[in-house]
Amino acid sequence: MYKILLASRYLIKRRISYLAFLAVALCVFIVIVVMTVMIGLVSDFKEKNHSFAGDCVVGTDSLVGFAYYADFADEVAKLDFVESTSTVINTYGLINRSGTDVSRGVQIFGIDPKSHSLATGFGRTVHYHKDDISKVFVPAYDTNLPGCVLGIDMAMIRDLRGKYQFGQMPFNTKFSISCFPLTAKGALAKAGAGEINTKTFSYSDVSQSGLARIDSSLIYIPFEQAQLLCGMGGVDKRASRIHIKFKSDVRLGTGTNKVGALWRDYMRKNKDKAKANLFETVTVQTWKEHRRSFVAAMEKEQTVLTVMFSLVGITTVFIIFVVFYMIICHKSKDIGILKSIGVSNSGIIGLFSSFAVFLASLGSCMGVFGGWLFLRKINSIEDWLFARFGFQMWDRSIYAIGDIPNQIELRTVLVIIISAFAACLVGAIVPAWQGAKLRPVESLQVNQL
Amino acid sequence: MLKLFLWLLFSILVTWVIGLSSVILIRYVLLRRPLSRKISILLATFFWVVNIVIFILLGSKSGTHVSLFIVYLISCYIYQTPNSIKVLLSNFISELYSCCYYINFFLWLRYLHKKKIVLLSVAAVALSSALLIVVASLFLGFIGAFEQSAVDAMGDIIIEPPVKLARYPEFIERLEREEVIKAATATLLSNGLLHLGQGNVRAVKIWGIQAGKRAKVTGLRRSLLRQKHLRFDPSFNVENAEDIPGGFIGIGVVTEPDEKSDEYDFDKALDMIGKYVVLTTGAVTETKSPTENNAKRFKRKPIKFAVVDIVFTGVYDLDKNFIYLSIDMLQKKIYPDRTDPIADQIQIKLADDASSADGLEAVRRVWSEFASQELGWSKYFISETVIITSKEMQSRYVSELRKQMGVLLLIFGVVSLSVVLLILCIFYMIVETRQKDIAIIKSCGTPSSSVALLFLGFGGFVGVIGSAFGVLFAYIITKNINAIEEWIRLVFGLKLWKSSVYMFSSIPNEIDWGSTLIIVLFAIVAAAMGALIPAIVAVQIKPVNILRYE
Repeated sequence: MYKILLASRYLIKRRISYLAFLAVALCVFIVIVVMTVMIGLVSDFKEKNHSFAGDCVVGTDSLVGFAYYADFADEVAKLDFVESTSTVINTYGLINRSGTDVSRGVQIFGIDPKSHSLATGFGRTVHYHKDDISKVFVPAYDTNLPGCVLGIDMAMIRDLRGKYQFGQMPFNTKFSISCFPLTAKGALAKAGAGEINTKTFSYSDVSQSGLARIDSSLIYIPFEQAQLLCGMGGVDKRASRIHIKFKSDVRLGTGTNKVGALWRDYMRKNKDKAKANLFETVTVQTWKEHRRSFVAAMEKEQTVLTVMFSLVGITTVFIIFVVFYMIICHKSKDIGILKSIGVSNSGIIGLFSSFAVFLASLGSCMGVFGGWLFLRKINSIEDWLFARFGFQMWDRSIYAIGDIPNQIELRTVLVIIISAFAACLVGAIVPAWQGAKLRPVESLQVNQL
Repeated sequence: MLKLFLWLLFSILVTWVIGLSSVILIRYVLLRRPLSRKISILLATFFWVVNIVIFILLGSKSGTHVSLFIVYLISCYIYQTPNSIKVLLSNFISELYSCCYYINFFLWLRYLHKKKIVLLSVAAVALSSALLIVVASLFLGFIGAFEQSAVDAMGDIIIEPPVKLARYPEFIERLEREEVIKAATATLLSNGLLHLGQGNVRAVKIWGIQAGKRAKVTGLRRSLLRQKHLRFDPSFNVENAEDIPGGFIGIGVVTEPDEKSDEYDFDKALDMIGKYVVLTTGAVTETKSPTENNAKRFKRKPIKFAVVDIVFTGVYDLDKNFIYLSIDMLQKKIYPDRTDPIADQIQIKLADDASSADGLEAVRRVWSEFASQELGWSKYFISETVIITSKEMQSRYVSELRKQMGVLLLIFGVVSLSVVLLILCIFYMIVETRQKDIAIIKSCGTPSSSVALLFLGFGGFVGVIGSAFGVLFAYIITKNINAIEEWIRLVFGLKLWKSSVYMFSSIPNEIDWGSTLIIVLFAIVAAAMGALIPAIVAVQIKPVNILRYE
């Protein structure tokens, strides 16, 4: 009991302890705000990548693709834990807007819109055909032409607030898309003539995935058209990938392992077929593995930021150390009296540890509360700063970021609070140990009183 | 750095001279007597406002005008003081002298030596300043590399007309007659699909260039893996096959950086030299078909060429996306109907001693004359031509990067404010435990202001030592940042820096001395501020109470 009483008394009476409390609160506040924003950005980016790729991807990076995909896709679709699948052609092409001199290289996805929307979040990214995704390739103007869905940054420009100005319908524009048709061996299918396949498409919709690279360089066209353009049609048709969505109760790793086992089995059964050599480059990956090169960069930045804040947090440990050292210097008589009436060394350490816990609790509470309050208003503050001073945390016309993430994660808060407690205890332990070593006979000498 | 220091010195001098001259004039020349408190405050406030207006007119961008507020406080004191200007000055000098007096310095060293806890504050200052210097240096290094990459890729100034520029050789000749211009070269831009081999197709950007001239304007020669060591200008000539055109390919087009080490396989890239690749590009041409009503249509053009060299600039996007062909050959292929030479851009290298402003002025003048006299362009077309320095082209992204650096430094700066609290705690403790020292000093006749200065100076001293260590740590970390990053990769398997994410193959590792100086000054001021309350406590100590026998 005396531990709690004395600890509370030191906290209230010793004004210097307010400084320690202030330092803890400041650190907790800053770390909560920065980590919430950073984690929010990373989670949002991961979620967008997950939505783009589905749960599992079976495919190859080679532009030749792989054959006999349809049978395997059927087998996967029959699995009880699979919700849907989508077969995709992935290739590169040259796009030119009709009537202009400008052409550019783009990535092309050949998809079946309905199945791709079921397997991935594609359906949610389009603007004009959200209600009936099957008509996403039906142009509003020239219905004789197949439609194409442009990455939104290829069709529109973001304003300063990161918003796009959509019209009633997509504008009446045609694009000619050219691809190199490749044989199953990867050679040019029309090498002799030196020609490539070109087809005209009508702009039918835009896709806003929220991923800058995708939105600025990816075009969706109908699966069959893509297959013809890049020479993957013919007898043994080829495709690049199969995107798979698992049922909600299926764990990502478990589902992917099962699909992997099925793929190995499928390869074994079909190893004697003419184009079985194309199976060699096919991999079965979770969405995280598939989009690793993009997601990993942001995760690393989060790690670096955490390390940097840990370094800065060392200063807080120093402050706690100094405050405790001071208090123990001043309260040597208290310690002497306590020890003279039989309190053990561990009791003295316990007393100052309780004080450290008090400080950590109050500092953390204050910091968390301040952080929560600030995060709640962070977007309004940014709006005000933008309206008043033209300041934005991120220029929305450059970065594909919407609102600043402000959802505090309980796990993050807990980790930060535990770190604050640990910092306080680490800072307090050496002075507490020194206090415990004080001898009553010295501290209670008459010339010390 | 010297320039910055001199500028700081000049700014301080101007602030104090302008701020105090009117006060001294009124007090010691016009009135020659001390003023009442109210009139002093009134006068000081009036001149405070006047000074703020003057400094704003002089171009001051300060939001707070803190230094003018300090001038205001001192003005109040000067108006009221009964001392003559001689006494005032001698007091000031003696305070300054006593601040540097050896007793102070001796006590600082003694406290630093005896009070081991002070070392904690030194460590905290060192840690915070090192972190801030490293962050600022890395950001500014990245910005510098970003701007330099544009200069290396495109020269100092770029001219981009709204339509294709015809007869560019004549224009370049005119440009090169100017003293401020060292060299100029033309570029024809296009996009295409490149078939590199079995199943390997890439979307690429094509630069039709004059290889020899471009090497004089940009850093092309340094980037060529094979031809950079040759004495003659880079060229697209293919050995033993004069009828086949040659081309350069970015290293990233041929091979990807290694997943773990982020390094390119140079041997694999060099193996591509001499091999033939097929490029498909094209341009809008007018069709003669009556059914299409002579409409303009984009026509594809295949180009087969031999890889003559590999380009490695160290800038990921340039290495990954670009191929280089002869401008004449590219024009013949995609614009066969155009007989006069055409270009999309003119890139210019300025003379070594020429400034960007002079260069821009000369280029604008030459362009305006050439476009109106030789091309017969209207004023509208001439004014629509973009003439810009390559650094200005990057300014939007650079300002965004600077903003992010500012936000990050602000966050770390706020967290580093806890250093002030730490110094406050430690100094408060020293004052409490050294009350007898202070009482003895005061009993010997030392004024309270000197005692206060002793602790403020000690705070500053801690700031100086801490920030000196901070600069040293920051220097070691920044200079070895690439080795540290590699060590982290080897030990933890964590590749922090990737050219595909951060554009450059290596982390910029130059210390930015300008921001280092500012951070060091802040650290010293912050440390002195931390000592302010303990200094006030020390001033309030009464020797008579402390030195009593009982």
